[in-house]
Amino acid sequence: MRAILFILLALALAALQAASLRWVGGGAFSLALPLVVVVHLGLTAPSVEGAVTAAGVGYVVDLMTGGPKGLMTFLAVGLYLFSRLAGASVDVNGRAGFAVLTTLGVFLFGAATLGMIGLVSPAEVAPAGRLLGRVGTEAVATGLASVFLQPLLRRIDRFFTREDPGMLR
Amino acid sequence: MLGLLKRFRDLLLVAALLVVPLAVFFAHAKRPTERSKLDRAVVSLTAPVERGVAWVVGSALEGWRGYVSLRGVRERAVELSRRVNELELGRLEMERLEKENDRLRKLLGFAEREGDLELVGARVVGVRLDPKGLQLVTVDRGADDGLQRMMPVVAPEGVVGRVHAVTRHTADVLLLVDRNSSVAARVERSRARANVRGLGDPYTCRLDYALRSDDLVEDDVLVTSGTDGVFPRGLPVGKVRNLKKQGQGLYQKADVAPAVDVTKLEEVLVVVGGGDRRADPEPEPAAPVPSAAQGAKPAAPVPSAAQAAKPAVPVPSAPQPAKPAAAAPSAPQPAKRAAPVPSAPQAANPASAAAGEVP
Repeated sequence: MRAILFILLALALAALQAASLRWVGGGAFSLALPLVVVVHLGLTAPSVEGAVTAAGVGYVVDLMTGGPKGLMTFLAVGLYLFSRLAGASVDVNGRAGFAVLTTLGVFLFGAATLGMIGLVSPAEVAPAGRLLGRVGTEAVATGLASVFLQPLLRRIDRFFTREDPGMLR
Repeated sequence: MLGLLKRFRDLLLVAALLVVPLAVFFAHAKRPTERSKLDRAVVSLTAPVERGVAWVVGSALEGWRGYVSLRGVRERAVELSRRVNELELGRLEMERLEKENDRLRKLLGFAEREGDLELVGARVVGVRLDPKGLQLVTVDRGADDGLQRMMPVVAPEGVVGRVHAVTRHTADVLLLVDRNSSVAARVERSRARANVRGLGDPYTCRLDYALRSDDLVEDDVLVTSGTDGVFPRGLPVGKVRNLKKQGQGLYQKADVAPAVDVTKLEEVLVVVGGGDRRADPEPEPAAPVPSAAQGAKPAAPVPSAAQAAKPAVPVPSAPQPAKPAAAAPSAPQPAKRAAPVPSAPQAANPASAAAGEVP
């Protein structure tokens, strides 16, 4: 249930960013809001559930980007694993840490996308390295937006977390 | 084997989630496929969200643009209104200059036509068309510019009047339409002689001393005859209107529509010299004989062209009664006028003697 809700949330975020960017910037920069969900999953969800949900979010991103199927799904699962690894290594539960992790994760996600597409595309149509600048901008913008999305994601998490009775806070 | 799978189930599942999409990607990368029904269904779920966001954002922006962002609009409107007013004033000023340019061109054309006259251009700076007083306009040229009393004042359309009083820098022009003004005129078509006298009405004068036998019809153009010693001959004075030929009497009666609309005067020309055409080529009437009733000096003869600048007949201010010895009687009292000796056929017509006089 939680996975479905997060996937639907990712779908809604994808639609929201598409609609928002029509009014803000008009495409001068981009966002990757569904990936915030994946980063959050990496910090909070167990392995199987997180990976499956990340794959679902990746599928949504696949549909939205219109590229070859499977790439975003693969990279979303990879981003989930990266976030899980990072969350286990350093404390990134605060807003700033979450934003930094999201920025880094989205940048790596974008760079990996460029690299993978470059692998399967003819040289003349392969994305050039200069697109890394746009990927960086997208990563920063998404990292900033993640600060505002994190409370929403945590609120959703609370629906599915049963607190132990008698536990003092 | 089964135990191994159970032990690494999670790891294997995650690996599968990595490998399968990667395989799908490589499988479809070279040969893109169409979206499946599921793909299309999922994508279609985003449409309402996008439409909703577009509606919300559009409404918010509309509200912002329509209300919130109108906060400085009033000041801007006032500023723009002020600017519009400035531009409108500028436009009106340009129109005024254009019209003034046209008028000055006409004046220049007139001055070139009347090349033998010495003309001084003047601008009307004051208008006093008071029915209770004289019909005067003040021009911005005076004695320092060579203006003297009795000098004729003209416009491209015709006779305006004559200089009535001068100061150093301004001069009052007694208009043709003033009750005290009189101009010796001639019908341009038939050369019949008459006298045009003002009535105090800016739009109408009276035709005096037009003999009943003279050829005169409605709309005949009257021009100056030059016999009054003031105005050069040939200048338009007006047109005959309301002509009444009576069965008895010496003269026929008519009104004259002045050639110059004095209510719209802005620039005029003062004839300060020259004008060898002032004298009509026809023989001058003989010197007038003093009237027995007056028993005074004879009315001043019509000055020659050379004397026009300093006319023998002084022009006192209107309200003051004139001395009969020095000035001819006013037009409404032609009987008291010194009758010229009819030595020539035209001399029977007193128009030339009555013209150009002010009581």
